[in-house]
Amino acid sequence: MSSTATVARRELVALRRDRLLVVLLGFLAAVTLVSVIVGAAAFRAQLEAYQLYVQQLEQSGSSTRAAAPRLFPLQLLRGSVEYVEILGALFAIVLGYGAVATEKYRGTLPLLLSRPVGRFALPLGKLAGIAGIWLAVVVALTVLWTAAIVGIGSASLGPADLGRILIVGAFSWLYLVFWSALAVALTAVTSRLSLGLILAIVIWLTFVLIIPQLGDTMDPDNQVPGGLFKALEIDSSSEAAVIAHFATFEELRNFLESASPTKHFERLAFAFLGIDDDFNQKPIGVVWSGIWGYAVAIAAAGVAAVAAAALVTTRSNLQRTRS
Amino acid sequence: MTAAIATERLTRVFGPVTAVDGLDLEVAEGEIFGLLGHNGAGKTTTVNMLTTLLPPTGGGASICGRSITADAAGVRRSIGYLPENVRFYDNLTLGENLRFFAELSGIRRPEGRIREVLRLLDFEGPYGQRVGTFSKGMRQRVGIAQAILHEPKVLFLDEPTSGLDPEGVRTLRETIVRLNREFGITVFMNTHLLTEVTKTCTSIGILRAGRLIHSSSLAETLAAFPDEESLEAVYFRLESQPVP
Repeated sequence: MSSTATVARRELVALRRDRLLVVLLGFLAAVTLVSVIVGAAAFRAQLEAYQLYVQQLEQSGSSTRAAAPRLFPLQLLRGSVEYVEILGALFAIVLGYGAVATEKYRGTLPLLLSRPVGRFALPLGKLAGIAGIWLAVVVALTVLWTAAIVGIGSASLGPADLGRILIVGAFSWLYLVFWSALAVALTAVTSRLSLGLILAIVIWLTFVLIIPQLGDTMDPDNQVPGGLFKALEIDSSSEAAVIAHFATFEELRNFLESASPTKHFERLAFAFLGIDDDFNQKPIGVVWSGIWGYAVAIAAAGVAAVAAAALVTTRSNLQRTRS
Repeated sequence: MTAAIATERLTRVFGPVTAVDGLDLEVAEGEIFGLLGHNGAGKTTTVNMLTTLLPPTGGGASICGRSITADAAGVRRSIGYLPENVRFYDNLTLGENLRFFAELSGIRRPEGRIREVLRLLDFEGPYGQRVGTFSKGMRQRVGIAQAILHEPKVLFLDEPTSGLDPEGVRTLRETIVRLNREFGITVFMNTHLLTEVTKTCTSIGILRAGRLIHSSSLAETLAAFPDEESLEAVYFRLESQPVP
Protein backbone atom coordinates (compact mmCIF):
# COMPACT_ATOMS: atom_id res chain seq x y z
CA MET A 1 0.00 0.00 0.00
CA SER A 2 1.42 3.46 -0.89
CA SER A 3 2.11 5.99 1.86
CA THR A 4 -0.72 8.19 0.54
CA ALA A 5 -3.21 5.32 0.79
CA THR A 6 -1.90 4.43 4.27
CA VAL A 7 -2.39 8.00 5.49
CA ALA A 8 -5.85 8.16 3.86
CA ARG A 9 -6.96 4.94 5.51
CA ARG A 10 -5.78 6.08 8.95
CA GLU A 11 -7.59 9.38 8.46
CA LEU A 12 -10.81 7.55 7.53
CA VAL A 13 -10.63 5.27 10.58
CA ALA A 14 -9.87 8.20 12.91
CA LEU A 15 -12.69 10.32 11.49
CA ARG A 16 -15.13 7.43 11.68
CA ARG A 17 -14.38 7.15 15.40
CA ASP A 18 -14.52 10.89 16.05
CA ARG A 19 -17.56 11.48 18.28
CA LEU A 20 -17.71 15.20 17.52
CA LEU A 21 -17.88 14.46 13.81
CA VAL A 22 -20.63 11.88 14.31
CA VAL A 23 -22.65 14.43 16.32
CA LEU A 24 -22.13 17.17 13.71
CA LEU A 25 -23.10 14.94 10.80
CA GLY A 26 -26.07 13.57 12.71
CA PHE A 27 -27.18 17.16 13.27
CA LEU A 28 -26.79 17.89 9.53
CA ALA A 29 -28.94 14.86 8.69
CA ALA A 30 -31.56 15.87 11.26
CA VAL A 31 -31.92 19.47 10.04
CA THR A 32 -32.07 18.17 6.47
CA LEU A 33 -34.98 15.96 7.42
CA VAL A 34 -36.71 18.77 9.31
CA SER A 35 -36.33 21.10 6.32
CA VAL A 36 -38.07 18.56 4.05
CA ILE A 37 -40.87 18.13 6.61
CA VAL A 38 -41.32 21.92 6.83
CA GLY A 39 -41.14 22.21 3.03
CA ALA A 40 -43.76 19.48 2.57
CA ALA A 41 -46.06 21.20 5.08
CA ALA A 42 -45.65 24.50 3.21
CA PHE A 43 -46.46 22.74 -0.09
CA ARG A 44 -49.61 21.24 1.41
CA ALA A 45 -50.65 24.64 2.78
CA GLN A 46 -50.17 26.24 -0.65
CA LEU A 47 -52.15 23.47 -2.33
CA GLU A 48 -54.97 23.71 0.19
CA ALA A 49 -55.10 27.49 -0.21
CA TYR A 50 -55.20 27.05 -4.00
CA GLN A 51 -57.93 24.40 -3.83
CA LEU A 52 -59.98 26.58 -1.46
CA TYR A 53 -59.57 29.54 -3.82
CA VAL A 54 -60.69 27.46 -6.83
CA GLN A 55 -63.66 26.15 -4.82
CA GLN A 56 -64.69 29.67 -3.86
CA LEU A 57 -64.42 30.80 -7.49
CA GLU A 58 -66.62 27.92 -8.61
CA GLN A 59 -69.17 28.60 -5.86
CA SER A 60 -69.36 32.26 -6.85
CA GLY A 61 -69.96 31.21 -10.49
CA SER A 62 -66.85 33.04 -11.65
CA SER A 63 -65.28 31.93 -14.92
CA THR A 64 -61.86 33.21 -13.82
CA ARG A 65 -59.09 30.62 -14.01
CA ALA A 66 -56.65 30.69 -11.09
CA ALA A 67 -53.02 29.85 -11.96
CA ALA A 68 -51.93 26.73 -10.07
CA PRO A 69 -48.81 27.10 -7.88
CA ARG A 70 -45.71 25.77 -9.67
CA LEU A 71 -44.80 23.09 -7.18
CA PHE A 72 -42.06 20.62 -8.01
CA PRO A 73 -41.07 17.86 -5.53
CA LEU A 74 -37.34 18.58 -5.68
CA GLN A 75 -38.05 22.11 -4.47
CA LEU A 76 -38.51 20.49 -1.06
CA LEU A 77 -34.72 20.25 -0.88
CA ARG A 78 -34.23 24.03 -0.76
CA GLY A 79 -33.60 24.01 2.99
CA SER A 80 -31.28 21.01 2.72
CA VAL A 81 -29.14 22.72 0.10
CA GLU A 82 -28.93 25.82 2.30
CA TYR A 83 -27.85 23.70 5.26
CA VAL A 84 -25.14 22.05 3.16
CA GLU A 85 -23.86 25.39 1.89
CA ILE A 86 -23.79 26.99 5.37
CA LEU A 87 -23.49 24.29 8.05
CA GLY A 88 -21.81 21.75 5.75
CA ALA A 89 -19.09 24.30 4.88
CA LEU A 90 -18.53 25.01 8.57
CA PHE A 91 -18.27 21.30 9.42
CA ALA A 92 -15.90 20.84 6.46
CA ILE A 93 -13.63 23.52 7.93
CA VAL A 94 -13.65 21.80 11.33
CA LEU A 95 -12.74 18.51 9.63
CA GLY A 96 -9.89 19.99 7.58
CA TYR A 97 -8.50 21.92 10.54
CA GLY A 98 -8.63 18.85 12.82
CA ALA A 99 -6.82 16.66 10.30
CA VAL A 100 -3.72 18.88 10.33
CA ALA A 101 -3.93 20.36 13.84
CA THR A 102 -3.90 16.92 15.50
CA GLU A 103 -0.58 16.12 13.82
CA LYS A 104 0.90 19.57 14.19
CA TYR A 105 0.09 20.35 17.79
CA ARG A 106 -0.37 16.98 19.51
CA GLY A 107 3.03 15.36 19.07
CA THR A 108 2.59 12.74 16.33
CA LEU A 109 4.43 14.77 13.70
CA PRO A 110 8.04 13.75 14.59
CA LEU A 111 7.10 10.08 14.14
CA LEU A 112 5.50 10.79 10.76
CA LEU A 113 8.30 12.97 9.47
CA SER A 114 11.00 10.50 10.49
CA ARG A 115 9.47 7.95 8.06
CA PRO A 116 10.47 7.63 4.41
CA VAL A 117 7.23 9.13 3.04
CA GLY A 118 7.03 11.17 -0.17
CA ARG A 119 6.61 14.95 -0.32
CA PHE A 120 2.88 14.83 -1.08
CA ALA A 121 1.92 11.61 0.75
CA LEU A 122 0.82 13.37 3.91
CA PRO A 123 -1.38 16.16 2.47
CA LEU A 124 -2.83 14.04 -0.33
CA GLY A 125 -3.46 11.12 2.05
CA LYS A 126 -5.25 13.40 4.48
CA LEU A 127 -7.28 15.05 1.72
CA ALA A 128 -8.18 11.64 0.28
CA GLY A 129 -9.37 10.49 3.72
CA ILE A 130 -11.46 13.63 4.19
CA ALA A 131 -12.85 13.34 0.66
CA GLY A 132 -13.78 9.73 1.44
CA ILE A 133 -15.68 10.77 4.55
CA TRP A 134 -17.52 13.49 2.60
CA LEU A 135 -18.36 11.00 -0.12
CA ALA A 136 -19.97 8.73 2.46
CA VAL A 137 -21.83 11.69 3.97
CA VAL A 138 -23.08 12.95 0.61
CA VAL A 139 -24.21 9.45 -0.45
CA ALA A 140 -26.11 9.19 2.85
CA LEU A 141 -27.59 12.66 2.31
CA THR A 142 -28.78 11.90 -1.24
CA VAL A 143 -30.43 8.70 0.00
CA LEU A 144 -32.00 10.73 2.81
CA TRP A 145 -33.17 13.42 0.38
CA THR A 146 -34.77 10.85 -1.91
CA ALA A 147 -36.38 8.97 0.96
CA ALA A 148 -37.66 12.20 2.53
CA ILE A 149 -39.25 13.43 -0.70
CA VAL A 150 -40.93 10.09 -1.33
CA GLY A 151 -41.78 9.35 2.31
CA ILE A 152 -42.60 12.77 3.72
CA GLY A 153 -43.45 14.69 0.56
CA SER A 154 -45.50 11.75 -0.81
CA ALA A 155 -44.08 12.49 -4.26
CA SER A 156 -43.00 10.01 -6.88
CA LEU A 157 -39.60 10.55 -8.47
CA GLY A 158 -38.57 9.57 -11.99
CA PRO A 159 -35.07 8.73 -13.25
CA ALA A 160 -34.51 12.35 -14.32
CA ASP A 161 -35.35 13.55 -10.80
CA LEU A 162 -32.91 11.05 -9.33
CA GLY A 163 -30.32 12.27 -11.83
CA ARG A 164 -30.84 15.85 -10.63
CA ILE A 165 -30.42 14.77 -7.00
CA LEU A 166 -27.23 12.90 -7.90
CA ILE A 167 -25.81 15.93 -9.72
CA VAL A 168 -26.54 18.16 -6.72
CA GLY A 169 -24.99 15.49 -4.47
CA ALA A 170 -21.84 15.39 -6.61
CA PHE A 171 -21.40 19.15 -6.46
CA SER A 172 -22.19 19.15 -2.73
CA TRP A 173 -19.24 16.77 -2.32
CA LEU A 174 -16.96 19.02 -4.37
CA TYR A 175 -18.12 22.07 -2.42
CA LEU A 176 -17.45 20.38 0.95
CA VAL A 177 -14.03 19.09 -0.18
CA PHE A 178 -13.19 22.68 -1.21
CA TRP A 179 -13.85 24.01 2.31
CA SER A 180 -11.95 21.13 3.98
CA ALA A 181 -8.94 21.60 1.68
CA LEU A 182 -8.95 25.33 2.38
CA ALA A 183 -8.87 24.63 6.13
CA VAL A 184 -6.04 22.08 5.64
CA ALA A 185 -3.99 24.68 3.74
CA LEU A 186 -4.59 27.44 6.30
CA THR A 187 -3.83 25.19 9.28
CA ALA A 188 -0.63 23.95 7.63
CA VAL A 189 0.64 27.40 6.77
CA THR A 190 -0.11 29.12 10.09
CA SER A 191 2.09 28.59 13.12
CA ARG A 192 -0.33 29.11 16.01
CA LEU A 193 -2.93 26.66 17.24
CA SER A 194 -6.41 27.84 16.18
CA LEU A 195 -5.14 30.61 13.86
CA GLY A 196 -5.83 28.48 10.78
CA LEU A 197 -9.30 27.72 12.11
CA ILE A 198 -10.01 31.38 12.83
CA LEU A 199 -8.84 32.44 9.34
CA ALA A 200 -10.95 29.73 7.70
CA ILE A 201 -14.01 30.84 9.69
CA VAL A 202 -13.42 34.48 8.69
CA ILE A 203 -13.33 33.36 5.04
CA TRP A 204 -16.45 31.24 5.63
CA LEU A 205 -18.22 34.21 7.21
CA THR A 206 -17.27 36.45 4.28
CA PHE A 207 -18.07 34.10 1.42
CA VAL A 208 -20.89 32.02 2.88
CA LEU A 209 -22.82 34.62 4.86
CA ILE A 210 -21.83 38.22 4.16
CA ILE A 211 -21.41 38.27 0.36
CA PRO A 212 -24.52 36.16 -0.42
CA GLN A 213 -26.48 38.25 2.10
CA LEU A 214 -25.31 41.45 0.43
CA GLY A 215 -26.31 40.07 -2.96
CA ASP A 216 -29.72 39.01 -1.68
CA THR A 217 -30.28 42.40 -0.06
CA MET A 218 -29.39 44.17 -3.30
CA ASP A 219 -31.78 41.99 -5.31
CA PRO A 220 -34.92 44.09 -5.95
CA ASP A 221 -37.02 40.93 -6.23
CA ASN A 222 -36.17 40.08 -2.60
CA GLN A 223 -37.61 43.29 -1.17
CA VAL A 224 -41.11 41.85 -0.86
CA PRO A 225 -41.94 38.40 0.55
CA GLY A 226 -42.80 36.11 -2.35
CA GLY A 227 -41.01 38.36 -4.84
CA LEU A 228 -41.48 41.99 -5.85
CA PHE A 229 -42.24 41.27 -9.50
CA LYS A 230 -44.75 38.57 -8.64
CA ALA A 231 -46.49 40.95 -6.22
CA LEU A 232 -46.64 43.60 -8.97
CA GLU A 233 -47.87 40.91 -11.41
CA ILE A 234 -44.93 41.56 -13.76
CA ASP A 235 -44.06 38.52 -15.91
CA SER A 236 -40.54 37.25 -16.60
CA SER A 237 -40.02 39.09 -19.92
CA SER A 238 -41.20 42.38 -18.47
CA GLU A 239 -39.06 41.75 -15.37
CA ALA A 240 -36.00 41.52 -17.61
CA ALA A 241 -36.98 44.79 -19.29
CA VAL A 242 -37.32 46.52 -15.92
CA ILE A 243 -34.00 45.19 -14.66
CA ALA A 244 -32.31 46.33 -17.90
CA HIS A 245 -32.81 49.89 -16.66
CA PHE A 246 -30.56 49.08 -13.68
CA ALA A 247 -27.83 47.26 -15.60
CA THR A 248 -24.86 48.70 -13.65
CA PHE A 249 -26.49 47.93 -10.32
CA GLU A 250 -27.25 44.38 -11.47
CA GLU A 251 -23.69 43.91 -12.71
CA LEU A 252 -22.35 45.05 -9.35
CA ARG A 253 -24.69 42.70 -7.53
CA ASN A 254 -23.77 39.81 -9.81
CA PHE A 255 -20.05 40.56 -9.43
CA LEU A 256 -20.40 40.43 -5.65
CA GLU A 257 -22.27 37.14 -5.72
CA SER A 258 -19.85 35.67 -8.27
CA ALA A 259 -17.03 36.14 -5.75
CA SER A 260 -18.62 33.53 -3.52
CA PRO A 261 -18.23 29.80 -4.27
CA THR A 262 -21.25 29.33 -2.04
CA LYS A 263 -23.40 31.41 -4.38
CA HIS A 264 -22.16 29.38 -7.37
CA PHE A 265 -23.08 26.17 -5.56
CA GLU A 266 -26.48 27.56 -4.58
CA ARG A 267 -27.30 28.76 -8.11
CA LEU A 268 -26.28 25.38 -9.56
CA ALA A 269 -28.25 23.38 -6.99
CA PHE A 270 -31.32 25.62 -7.20
CA ALA A 271 -31.28 25.34 -11.00
CA PHE A 272 -31.12 21.53 -11.03
CA LEU A 273 -33.74 21.19 -8.29
CA GLY A 274 -36.13 23.59 -10.05
CA ILE A 275 -36.08 26.02 -7.12
CA ASP A 276 -34.93 28.71 -9.54
CA ASP A 277 -38.10 29.54 -11.56
CA ASP A 278 -36.09 30.00 -14.76
CA PHE A 279 -35.14 26.31 -14.69
CA ASN A 280 -38.27 24.81 -13.16
CA GLN A 281 -39.36 21.68 -15.09
CA LYS A 282 -36.64 22.20 -17.72
CA PRO A 283 -34.72 19.16 -19.03
CA ILE A 284 -31.33 18.50 -17.46
CA GLY A 285 -29.53 19.43 -20.71
CA VAL A 286 -31.17 22.85 -20.78
CA VAL A 287 -30.34 23.43 -17.12
CA TRP A 288 -26.76 22.36 -17.72
CA SER A 289 -26.28 24.73 -20.65
CA GLY A 290 -27.54 27.57 -18.46
CA ILE A 291 -25.39 26.94 -15.42
CA TRP A 292 -22.20 25.24 -16.61
CA GLY A 293 -20.21 28.32 -15.63
CA TYR A 294 -21.12 27.76 -11.98
CA ALA A 295 -20.08 24.11 -12.24
CA VAL A 296 -16.71 25.13 -13.68
CA ALA A 297 -16.26 27.72 -10.91
CA ILE A 298 -16.96 25.19 -8.15
CA ALA A 299 -14.66 22.60 -9.74
CA ALA A 300 -11.91 25.21 -10.19
CA ALA A 301 -12.25 26.35 -6.57
CA GLY A 302 -12.04 22.72 -5.39
CA VAL A 303 -8.97 21.93 -7.50
CA ALA A 304 -7.26 25.17 -6.45
CA ALA A 305 -7.89 24.49 -2.74
CA VAL A 306 -6.61 20.90 -3.00
CA ALA A 307 -3.52 22.06 -4.92
CA ALA A 308 -2.87 24.81 -2.37
CA ALA A 309 -3.23 22.36 0.51
CA ALA A 310 -0.82 19.90 -1.16
CA LEU A 311 1.74 22.62 -1.88
CA VAL A 312 1.77 24.36 1.52
CA THR A 313 1.60 21.22 3.69
CA THR A 314 5.38 20.94 3.73
CA ARG A 315 7.68 19.55 6.42
CA SER A 316 8.88 23.04 7.35
CA ASN A 317 5.36 24.52 7.55
CA LEU A 318 4.12 21.61 9.65
CA GLN A 319 7.04 21.96 12.07
CA ARG A 320 6.66 25.75 12.38
CA THR A 321 4.63 26.12 15.57
CA ARG A 322 4.46 28.75 18.25
CA SER A 323 2.59 28.37 21.50
CA MET B 1 34.89 -0.57 13.03
CA THR B 2 32.82 1.65 10.69
CA ALA B 3 30.91 4.62 11.98
CA ALA B 4 27.14 4.24 12.29
CA ILE B 5 26.87 7.98 12.92
CA ALA B 6 29.39 10.56 11.81
CA THR B 7 29.03 14.33 12.00
CA GLU B 8 31.34 16.95 10.61
CA ARG B 9 31.12 20.54 11.82
CA LEU B 10 27.37 19.98 12.23
CA THR B 11 25.77 23.31 13.09
CA ARG B 12 22.27 24.64 13.65
CA VAL B 13 21.54 28.30 14.16
CA PHE B 14 18.14 29.68 15.21
CA GLY B 15 18.24 33.44 14.63
CA PRO B 16 20.85 34.82 17.02
CA VAL B 17 21.19 31.51 18.90
CA THR B 18 23.65 28.78 17.87
CA ALA B 19 22.01 25.63 19.25
CA VAL B 20 24.63 23.22 17.90
CA ASP B 21 28.06 24.59 17.11
CA GLY B 22 30.39 22.67 14.78
CA LEU B 23 29.73 19.21 16.20
CA ASP B 24 32.31 16.56 15.23
CA LEU B 25 31.25 13.16 16.47
CA GLU B 26 31.58 9.49 15.58
CA VAL B 27 29.52 6.66 16.97
CA ALA B 28 30.71 3.20 15.96
CA GLU B 29 28.34 0.41 14.90
CA GLY B 30 27.01 -1.59 17.83
CA GLU B 31 27.54 1.17 20.41
CA ILE B 32 25.00 2.51 22.88
CA PHE B 33 25.92 6.16 22.86
CA GLY B 34 24.59 8.56 25.49
CA LEU B 35 24.60 12.27 24.67
CA LEU B 36 24.64 14.19 27.94
CA GLY B 37 24.16 17.83 28.73
CA HIS B 38 22.09 20.30 30.68
CA ASN B 39 18.71 21.45 29.43
CA GLY B 40 19.24 23.68 26.39
CA ALA B 41 22.70 22.23 25.63
CA GLY B 42 21.59 21.26 22.10
CA LYS B 43 20.89 17.54 22.58
CA THR B 44 17.40 17.50 21.04
CA THR B 45 18.48 19.79 18.18
CA THR B 46 21.31 17.32 17.44
CA VAL B 47 18.89 14.38 17.36
CA ASN B 48 16.42 16.37 15.25
CA MET B 49 19.15 16.98 12.67
CA LEU B 50 20.38 13.38 12.71
CA THR B 51 16.82 12.07 12.24
CA THR B 52 16.31 14.52 9.32
CA LEU B 53 13.55 16.42 11.11
CA LEU B 54 15.61 19.59 11.06
CA PRO B 55 18.02 20.63 8.31
CA PRO B 56 21.45 21.77 9.54
CA THR B 57 22.52 25.32 8.80
CA GLY B 58 26.16 24.23 8.51
CA GLY B 59 28.32 21.13 8.29
CA GLY B 60 26.90 17.69 7.67
CA ALA B 61 26.34 14.22 9.01
CA SER B 62 25.84 10.70 7.80
CA ILE B 63 24.00 7.70 9.20
CA CYS B 64 25.29 4.33 8.00
CA GLY B 65 27.11 6.20 5.25
CA ARG B 66 24.03 8.11 4.04
CA SER B 67 24.07 11.89 4.13
CA ILE B 68 21.27 13.45 6.21
CA THR B 69 20.85 16.18 3.61
CA ALA B 70 21.57 14.48 0.26
CA ASP B 71 19.87 11.17 1.08
CA ALA B 72 17.31 12.01 3.76
CA ALA B 73 14.92 9.26 2.57
CA GLY B 74 17.72 6.69 2.81
CA VAL B 75 18.55 7.87 6.34
CA ARG B 76 14.86 7.58 7.35
CA ARG B 77 14.84 3.98 6.13
CA SER B 78 17.90 3.20 8.27
CA ILE B 79 16.76 4.71 11.55
CA GLY B 80 14.15 4.25 14.23
CA TYR B 81 13.17 7.20 16.36
CA LEU B 82 11.47 7.64 19.70
CA PRO B 83 10.92 11.34 20.42
CA GLU B 84 10.55 12.80 23.89
CA ASN B 85 6.88 12.92 25.01
CA VAL B 86 5.85 10.69 22.13
CA ARG B 87 2.16 10.71 21.19
CA PHE B 88 0.18 8.29 19.10
CA TYR B 89 -3.28 8.24 17.55
CA ASP B 90 -5.36 7.81 20.68
CA ASN B 91 -8.48 6.56 18.93
CA LEU B 92 -6.58 3.79 17.12
CA THR B 93 -5.66 0.52 18.79
CA LEU B 94 -2.08 -0.55 19.45
CA GLY B 95 -2.25 -2.88 16.44
CA GLU B 96 -3.67 -0.15 14.17
CA ASN B 97 -1.04 2.37 15.27
CA LEU B 98 1.79 -0.06 14.61
CA ARG B 99 0.31 -1.15 11.29
CA PHE B 100 0.17 2.51 10.22
CA PHE B 101 3.82 3.18 11.06
CA ALA B 102 4.93 -0.16 9.61
CA GLU B 103 3.24 0.61 6.28
CA LEU B 104 4.76 4.10 6.23
CA SER B 105 8.14 2.41 6.66
CA GLY B 106 7.44 0.32 3.57
CA ILE B 107 6.58 -3.00 5.25
CA ARG B 108 4.00 -4.89 3.21
CA ARG B 109 1.61 -7.13 5.15
CA PRO B 110 3.12 -6.07 8.49
CA GLU B 111 0.94 -8.19 10.81
CA GLY B 112 3.57 -10.90 11.31
CA ARG B 113 6.33 -8.40 12.03
CA ILE B 114 4.09 -6.46 14.46
CA ARG B 115 3.32 -9.65 16.41
CA GLU B 116 7.01 -10.54 16.42
CA VAL B 117 8.04 -7.13 17.81
CA LEU B 118 5.29 -7.18 20.45
CA ARG B 119 6.38 -10.66 21.51
CA LEU B 120 9.96 -9.40 21.77
CA LEU B 121 8.81 -6.56 24.02
CA ASP B 122 6.45 -8.85 25.96
CA PHE B 123 3.64 -6.50 25.01
CA GLU B 124 1.12 -8.62 23.10
CA GLY B 125 -1.77 -8.28 25.56
CA PRO B 126 -3.06 -4.82 24.69
CA TYR B 127 -2.96 -5.38 20.88
CA GLY B 128 -6.64 -4.50 20.42
CA GLN B 129 -6.80 -1.72 23.03
CA ARG B 130 -6.95 1.93 22.07
CA VAL B 131 -3.67 3.72 22.78
CA GLY B 132 -5.56 6.61 24.41
CA THR B 133 -6.09 4.37 27.45
CA PHE B 134 -2.38 3.55 27.87
CA SER B 135 -0.10 4.65 30.75
CA LYS B 136 3.10 6.59 30.08
CA GLY B 137 5.16 3.40 30.43
CA MET B 138 2.97 1.56 27.94
CA ARG B 139 3.24 4.46 25.49
CA GLN B 140 7.03 4.29 25.68
CA ARG B 141 6.84 0.60 24.79
CA VAL B 142 4.61 1.45 21.83
CA GLY B 143 7.25 4.02 20.95
CA ILE B 144 10.02 1.43 21.03
CA ALA B 145 7.85 -1.00 19.04
CA GLN B 146 7.14 1.50 16.25
CA ALA B 147 10.80 2.47 16.16
CA ILE B 148 12.12 -1.07 15.56
CA LEU B 149 9.35 -2.45 13.31
CA HIS B 150 11.36 -1.91 10.15
CA GLU B 151 14.55 -3.37 11.65
CA PRO B 152 16.55 -0.13 11.69
CA LYS B 153 20.32 -0.11 11.99
CA VAL B 154 20.36 2.92 14.28
CA LEU B 155 17.88 3.79 17.01
CA PHE B 156 17.52 7.38 18.25
CA LEU B 157 15.95 7.86 21.67
CA ASP B 158 15.29 11.34 23.02
CA GLU B 159 15.01 11.31 26.83
CA PRO B 160 13.46 7.83 26.70
CA THR B 161 13.05 7.45 30.47
CA SER B 162 11.47 10.87 30.98
CA GLY B 163 8.35 10.59 33.15
CA LEU B 164 8.67 6.82 33.72
CA ASP B 165 8.41 5.16 37.13
CA PRO B 166 11.41 3.08 38.37
CA GLU B 167 9.87 -0.14 37.02
CA GLY B 168 9.30 1.50 33.63
CA VAL B 169 12.87 2.80 33.58
CA ARG B 170 14.25 -0.65 34.32
CA THR B 171 12.10 -2.34 31.66
CA LEU B 172 13.12 0.23 29.06
CA ARG B 173 16.80 -0.09 29.98
CA GLU B 174 16.66 -3.86 29.61
CA THR B 175 14.90 -3.51 26.26
CA ILE B 176 17.52 -1.10 24.93
CA VAL B 177 20.38 -3.34 25.99
CA ARG B 178 18.66 -6.39 24.51
CA LEU B 179 18.04 -4.69 21.17
CA ASN B 180 21.68 -3.70 21.07
CA ARG B 181 23.13 -7.08 22.06
CA GLU B 182 20.74 -9.43 20.24
CA PHE B 183 20.08 -7.44 17.09
CA GLY B 184 23.19 -5.29 16.85
CA ILE B 185 21.21 -2.05 16.74
CA THR B 186 23.32 1.03 17.35
CA VAL B 187 21.59 3.23 19.93
CA PHE B 188 21.96 7.00 20.25
CA MET B 189 20.18 8.37 23.29
CA ASN B 190 19.79 11.81 24.79
CA THR B 191 19.51 11.75 28.51
CA HIS B 192 20.42 13.52 31.68
CA LEU B 193 19.86 10.51 33.95
CA LEU B 194 23.49 9.64 34.67
CA THR B 195 22.71 6.46 36.60
CA GLU B 196 20.95 5.13 33.50
CA VAL B 197 23.89 6.06 31.32
CA THR B 198 26.21 4.09 33.61
CA LYS B 199 23.97 1.03 33.38
CA THR B 200 23.20 1.26 29.67
CA CYS B 201 25.72 3.15 27.55
CA THR B 202 29.03 1.98 26.15
CA SER B 203 30.18 5.46 25.12
CA ILE B 204 29.21 9.02 25.95
CA GLY B 205 29.45 12.58 24.69
CA ILE B 206 28.87 15.75 26.65
CA LEU B 207 27.38 18.83 25.03
CA ARG B 208 27.63 22.26 26.55
CA ALA B 209 26.12 25.33 24.87
CA GLY B 210 26.00 23.44 21.57
CA ARG B 211 29.63 22.31 21.69
CA LEU B 212 30.94 18.82 22.28
CA ILE B 213 33.28 19.09 25.25
CA HIS B 214 33.92 15.37 25.69
CA SER B 215 33.47 12.16 23.71
CA SER B 216 34.84 8.77 24.63
CA SER B 217 33.91 5.27 25.72
CA LEU B 218 32.32 5.09 29.16
CA ALA B 219 35.14 2.91 30.46
CA GLU B 220 37.82 5.32 29.23
CA THR B 221 35.96 8.29 30.64
CA LEU B 222 35.72 6.74 34.09
CA ALA B 223 39.35 5.55 33.92
CA ALA B 224 40.53 9.05 33.10
CA PHE B 225 39.21 10.28 36.43
CA PRO B 226 40.25 7.57 38.93
CA ASP B 227 39.73 9.93 41.86
CA GLU B 228 36.05 10.43 41.05
CA GLU B 229 33.54 7.97 42.51
CA SER B 230 30.78 8.13 39.90
CA LEU B 231 29.91 9.27 36.41
CA GLU B 232 27.97 12.10 38.00
CA ALA B 233 31.14 13.46 39.60
CA VAL B 234 33.04 13.07 36.32
CA TYR B 235 30.22 14.80 34.45
CA PHE B 236 30.26 17.84 36.74
CA ARG B 237 34.04 18.03 36.59
CA LEU B 238 33.99 17.97 32.77
CA GLU B 239 31.11 20.43 32.73
CA SER B 240 33.07 22.91 34.85
CA GLN B 241 36.03 22.99 32.46
CA PRO B 242 36.21 25.89 30.00
CA VAL B 243 34.79 25.29 26.51
CA PRO B 244 37.68 24.50 24.13
